[in-house]
Amino acid sequence: MAPRIWPLVKLVSKVTIAGGAVYVAYDSGLLGSSEQGSMALEKAKAVVPPALEEWMKYFGLEAQLPTMPKIEFSPVNSWNAGVRWTISSLSEAPTRATEYTNQGLQYVKDLTK
Amino acid sequence: MSEKELGKKLDRCLADGVVKLGTGLGLGIVFSVLFFKRRTWPITLFSGAGLGMAYANCQHDLRSHYLLHTSEQQEQ
Repeated sequence: MAPRIWPLVKLVSKVTIAGGAVYVAYDSGLLGSSEQGSMALEKAKAVVPPALEEWMKYFGLEAQLPTMPKIEFSPVNSWNAGVRWTISSLSEAPTRATEYTNQGLQYVKDLTK
Repeated sequence: MSEKELGKKLDRCLADGVVKLGTGLGLGIVFSVLFFKRRTWPITLFSGAGLGMAYANCQHDLRSHYLLHTSEQQEQ
């Protein structure tokens, strides 16, 4: 009796776990619209660091691991600065090219004098 | 659509993409371990499905500004 029921019990438990995982994902808005997805990401960002700290305290790892230094780096600002620099360089490029060409020609003329 | 609105929509698209990719990866791992003897293809399939859902959401979000709704048509 038990050997015959065991595969069925295994299958039912696997289906329950998989179904539960899908339900949790659906219920927490992870499979919904863009707004729900971005809200879920914000919630996760807010919840994960304190949870990590709690777990580290629980396992007594806090004293061993150094604290993460707070780096003030904004990828958005860096990207925007890069774009501005590129576009301004491109807009000045003809003027600069003309200047350098004239300087080069002048230098060559001075050499040939 | 103003530049600010477009920027916000693209930020939302990116966040949604990350969330759906992670969800797909997680569910893929669960299904792979439980049903498919730890093979790789369910993980790839579910991650791809998650990315596809995020792409569809982003497409709908970006197009929604130009869609005319029935109530607006009736007012006109």
